Amino acid sequence: MHKDRALWASLAVLALAGAAYALRETAGKGWMPGCVFRKLTGLDCPGCGMTRGTYALLHGRVAEAFSFNPVGMILLPLAMVALGIEVMGWVRGKPMPFRIKPGRWGATVVAVVVIVFWIVRNLV
Amino acid sequence: MWYYSRNGMQLGPLSTEELSGKARGGEVSPSDLIWKEGMPDWKPMAQVPEFQSTSGLSNPPPVGMGSVPMQQPPMYPAGYIPGSVPNYLWQSIVVTVLCCLPFGVVSIVHAAKVDSLLAQGDIVGATAASKSAKTWAIAGLASWGLLIGIYLIFVLIAVIGAAASGP
Repeated sequence: MHKDRALWASLAVLALAGAAYALRETAGKGWMPGCVFRKLTGLDCPGCGMTRGTYALLHGRVAEAFSFNPVGMILLPLAMVALGIEVMGWVRGKPMPFRIKPGRWGATVVAVVVIVFWIVRNLV
Repeated sequence: MWYYSRNGMQLGPLSTEELSGKARGGEVSPSDLIWKEGMPDWKPMAQVPEFQSTSGLSNPPPVGMGSVPMQQPPMYPAGYIPGSVPNYLWQSIVVTVLCCLPFGVVSIVHAAKVDSLLAQGDIVGATAASKSAKTWAIAGLASWGLLIGIYLIFVLIAVIGAAASGP
């Protein structure tokens, strides 16, 4: 158990909670910058729709959230849980006994899914 | 963070880059013992996957020992611990989904290669892919942070400007 790491981890959780609160309360007011890639190219990036999607999710509109970015809505919570477990291992100084490991094929599948999704969403 | 042992003294902590630099400069030799958190015991630097290229550069194999070039077939080095080459897949996913820049996708592609290369026994390749995944994820995060920072400054200026000009 590393106290300094526990402090950093707590600060990160607080920052995330603050960001979620700000997003829930103010994202609808149109001050958020939106996607840089989309502004520059006119194309959707693999993450486009995540602000709107998370905003919808934080207001309990799950179906709407998935319609904005289905792949991101699955991958982001999965990655956050997996990273949370890694951070817990980092704080206590050795890895947690249960971890989400994509493995050799899982990682490749994720890469292919993200790239295919990126292409397809710009064609449809 | 690495620790190394020299003349009976434990020194460090150093980052991988700093320790590589010391190895190239000759301050640490490939036979010196090094350790980082997660390793079960101290190992000579030459046996630690992260530094195999560095230690090979600074100390060419001695001539006279039937000087065959050190082109070994890929295999797990003695000091290799499964799981010691992180793939950064989750980090790269977060960067891709949140940062709106294609850097995250590049990071995911490198991250996906790490475990495949490890499975083939290519530790050096896996370490390189791991490093690329990390670099691209940081590049994505940093450029996003920079753009958001600039954007917020503009928003602030606009707000102050509106307040100053009055109704």
